[in-house]
Amino acid sequence: MKRSIATLLAIAVLISLGAFLLRGLGIDTPKPTNELRTANAAHRARAALPRDAAAEDGNWTMPSKDYASTRFSGLTELTPANVSGLNVAFTFSTGTVEGFEAPPLVVGSTMYVVAPWPNNVYALDLAKPGAPVKWTYEPRPAAAAKGVACCGPVNRGAVYSAGRLFLNLLDGHTVAVDAATGKEVWRTKVADIQKGETLTMAPLVAEGKVLVGNSGGEMGVRGWLTALDAGSGRLAWRGYSTGPDKDVLIGPDYRPPYAKDAGHDLGVKSWPPERWKIGGGTVWGWISYDPKLKLIYYGTGNPGPWNAAQRPGANHFTAGVLARDIGSGHVRWYYQSTPHDVFDHDDINENLLVEYPAPNGGRIPALIRPSRNGFFYVHDRRTGKILSADPYAHINAYTGVDLKTGALGLVKAKEPVEGRVVRNICPGPPGAKDWNPSAFSPVTGLVYIPHLNLCMDMGVKNANYIPGTPFVGADVKMYAGPGGNRGVFTAWDPVARRKVFEIKEDLPLWSPALATAGGVVFYGTMDGWFKAIDARNGKLLWRFKTGSGIIGQPISYRGPDGRQYIAVPSGIGGWAGAVVTADIDTRDPTAALGFANATKDLPKRTTRGGMVYVFALPK
Amino acid sequence: MSLHCRNSLLAFALVALLAGCNREERNSRGKPLAETAPGMVTPDTILPGNARPSAPDPRAAQYENNAPSISQGQTLFAQMNCSGCHSHGGGGMGPALMDAKWRYGGRMDQIVASIAEGRPNGMPAWRGKLTEQQMWQIAAYVRTLSGQERKDAVSARADEMSNTPPQTQIEREPIESAESGQQ
Amino acid sequence: MTRLAHRLIALPLGFLSACAGNQNAMGGQGLESANFIVLFLVFLAVCAVMYLLVLAGLGIALRRRRDAGQANSVDEDRHEETSARTKVALIVWTGLVTVGLTILTVASFFSDRSNASSTRRSGLALTITGNQWWWNVQYDTSDPSASVRTANEIHLPVNVPVHVTLKSNDVIHSFWVPNLAGKQDLIPGRQTDIELLPRRTGVFHGQCAEFCGVQHTRMALDVIVEPLDDFRRWYAQQLATAPAPTTRLQMAGYRYFVTRECSSCHNVAGSPAGGQIGPDLTHVASRRSIGAGTLPLNRGNLYGWIADPQSHKPGSRMPTIPMEPRDLHSLVAYIETLK
Repeated sequence: MKRSIATLLAIAVLISLGAFLLRGLGIDTPKPTNELRTANAAHRARAALPRDAAAEDGNWTMPSKDYASTRFSGLTELTPANVSGLNVAFTFSTGTVEGFEAPPLVVGSTMYVVAPWPNNVYALDLAKPGAPVKWTYEPRPAAAAKGVACCGPVNRGAVYSAGRLFLNLLDGHTVAVDAATGKEVWRTKVADIQKGETLTMAPLVAEGKVLVGNSGGEMGVRGWLTALDAGSGRLAWRGYSTGPDKDVLIGPDYRPPYAKDAGHDLGVKSWPPERWKIGGGTVWGWISYDPKLKLIYYGTGNPGPWNAAQRPGANHFTAGVLARDIGSGHVRWYYQSTPHDVFDHDDINENLLVEYPAPNGGRIPALIRPSRNGFFYVHDRRTGKILSADPYAHINAYTGVDLKTGALGLVKAKEPVEGRVVRNICPGPPGAKDWNPSAFSPVTGLVYIPHLNLCMDMGVKNANYIPGTPFVGADVKMYAGPGGNRGVFTAWDPVARRKVFEIKEDLPLWSPALATAGGVVFYGTMDGWFKAIDARNGKLLWRFKTGSGIIGQPISYRGPDGRQYIAVPSGIGGWAGAVVTADIDTRDPTAALGFANATKDLPKRTTRGGMVYVFALPK
Repeated sequence: MSLHCRNSLLAFALVALLAGCNREERNSRGKPLAETAPGMVTPDTILPGNARPSAPDPRAAQYENNAPSISQGQTLFAQMNCSGCHSHGGGGMGPALMDAKWRYGGRMDQIVASIAEGRPNGMPAWRGKLTEQQMWQIAAYVRTLSGQERKDAVSARADEMSNTPPQTQIEREPIESAESGQQ
Repeated sequence: MTRLAHRLIALPLGFLSACAGNQNAMGGQGLESANFIVLFLVFLAVCAVMYLLVLAGLGIALRRRRDAGQANSVDEDRHEETSARTKVALIVWTGLVTVGLTILTVASFFSDRSNASSTRRSGLALTITGNQWWWNVQYDTSDPSASVRTANEIHLPVNVPVHVTLKSNDVIHSFWVPNLAGKQDLIPGRQTDIELLPRRTGVFHGQCAEFCGVQHTRMALDVIVEPLDDFRRWYAQQLATAPAPTTRLQMAGYRYFVTRECSSCHNVAGSPAGGQIGPDLTHVASRRSIGAGTLPLNRGNLYGWIADPQSHKPGSRMPTIPMEPRDLHSLVAYIETLK
């Protein structure tokens, strides 16, 4: 009797020990619940759209749909019940076969399509059958710019405002185009390709200002955010991401939420002498805006070079989130998510602005974001203070975020060392999620995150700085993380702080997401499948195989005939798709900054393309 | 030692010496003046009116299959950030160098011309930033990425995380004629 | 006879001349080397004594053998006498050996302890990275914006312990400043370290002590040990960026440096030249030598070095750049401003 009890006890101990040991192999998200519990909506705490959110007008005037970056369409015609009947309404080929990331914009009965380099813009007349071209704008940016664009000559979109389109050209110019005629109104040079700078991001237009940030964190560039006057194109202000306070525009009203980000001239003191001038912190991602607080929110890119041994120090203000006053450009608060980044974990991902339920009732104006370093942050967007920071993907390189000090814990064994290769670092350089933005649905209260499950081996060495050439100093090889799937589509509840459902994808997910009020969520895969899923449980409702991999933003709009349309750009490319577009030889696994190894099979599954597909339910 | 024995030994030594001559010859600064880049090199293209292509540059032979040049080229390839765009032959921002496709020609002098002049889709122009001798050395190394050079002259070991098979075991890729400029 | 005697005395004196000077393992200007010398002398003394005793014993044994050869028989009494004497001799000898070894062990222990104690005091931290064929020197500070990068020359304040981290970018080198301490290898892919505690001021010469390629012999290092105030002044000067060129010739040299081959490899802080693979030149004109000890720094040598480095250090990584005479003049004029 005693022996059997002892045996059972021993077995129990062994099982729990085993579970504990397995658990210790990196931190993971908590287990997902299988379906959203359909509790009484009034009692259930949910994040909501900002109070001053505009009503749905059926247009799509900026890539993020609104200043809060929700990528949520209020149209309700498409529901889980009828979306399987979606058919192609019309298509449009841009003639360019590079990575197609920009969403088409729809204003009234005109659709504007923005292509990657050479950055042509096409205006399509949606009122006529087949949506013929009304005008074409051909800016002819310099071809040499392609030589300093790290991750494909992509463009993440234009913005429509007050009768004009505003977009960035790859060779460093920002342009304003008359939306009715396609004539250029002004062209301003903001970036210099001789220094390795390019422009790939979609600008933000608000309060009469066009906000533009540069790319080039792998080229030894100094990052900045520039505000141009929307009427004339003249410089209003420029806030750098490194350097003395007068360049970064840190003034007396600077109030960082944590002591580690407080001080004077941090952008100089946290770098070796002169290194901040080539330190990176580029602004190539997404900007959000709060019209009430008059603050813009954006993240800065990685510090340069990737070999962190060449830049001891915290490397402010790279890999962090800044809140700037839109009028003066002065920084109100700043939080550095990844101090002294060693893995290329930029922080340029989208910042969603929502109303967040406070623990004592009432609502906090919050900023929620799935960061590249693998943590889903919830901040109070007035002060920057973190309310929660939870891993939404598999991480073994960081231990966690200390909510008291804001510090990120780095696992020392995973830190790259010169002359040696460190293996199995998760997440890899594109992070748990790269630039491709998530969408928020106030109906379900969930954030729909298309992201990655990639790990890497990394070796670093001394990098040489020659302006106009890469400044990296790292060799990287990426591969699938635990589970073998390279992509994941996660529905995350920011209030409950957990995954609600996830969809494993074989290929990395490089496309943004779209959420609709009808309860359908859309995203695309790198081999060209455009999918519609149920917003509550992730069930696949409909899918369509487009001609090329999808890495661009799907949108939804109301056509002139009153129907709800879904449009998506299809054209593989970007960093993840370089294997197809950039003449890569996958016998070298470090090619394309490490992505070649992770996407070796992609050329067999998709080819280059450049087409917009528009879908609707048949009449 | 008998006369016959000594003579055959001498002959053998002479042959062995000559065989290793070019492979190991170390030329520290070009002779007698420093190196110049090739003139009048064209990518493979139409030569109208029965024109002949320019003769292969004689300096190519000095750097091809020369172990110190290839080794120095390997060092410079990483130090001058060539690997930042071309990786270790696989490509990235720049095209792959280990395959059979050459947009502007795969001969030694054509590669040196591409390095010196730059190319329209983003290859920087290095004339004035590298000496011509360094460009010849880099060109010799670039050719080993696709297996063009003799296996006893190439470096057997990379300077970074192992990625491609060692160059001593790469199959030689054919050099296809240059493609017309892509977009 | 007197001439031979003179020669015999002069010979070791000739060797002693190597004991003077700035690259001298018997210099003892640093704590580690001083400890080493003391230990060496203790070992020398003990072993010399033992050696002389052994020689004496051998001499006695040889003479005894000669005497013994004359008497054929073995006398019973004589045998007992010798065996007793042998026993005593053996006991004494074993005792001497034990005492000798104990002295050596104790001396070694105290020497190690003295070396280790210096590491517990905090002082200066350096990282030296070996390249073919020059030394990259980085002064590490807790405030990263106060760190200094220089090449081939180290300044150290006297009586301040220094912890040097050693790395290599290519092959195995060895850091050796004989006046201050022993050798320590720089191994690629690994990090080694060495402690220094200079006790006397002076200018000392270091050398790469592990064969590292064709110019291993021209990979030297200048180590200047100076009073703390002088060191602070030197450090502040090294932290400053390079002054802007003033004369037209200097400006032409600056333009050449920044737009041509020089900036592909060399860095001058405060200018657009940011190359990281060659020695930092921000304050090159304040150093004692060019090319890691290849030539003393002066105007003539600067001309010669820049015009044709391969003739002075063939096989080194700095290529011979064909340049117009006026470019050479302007470059030297600019380099001389980099104090």
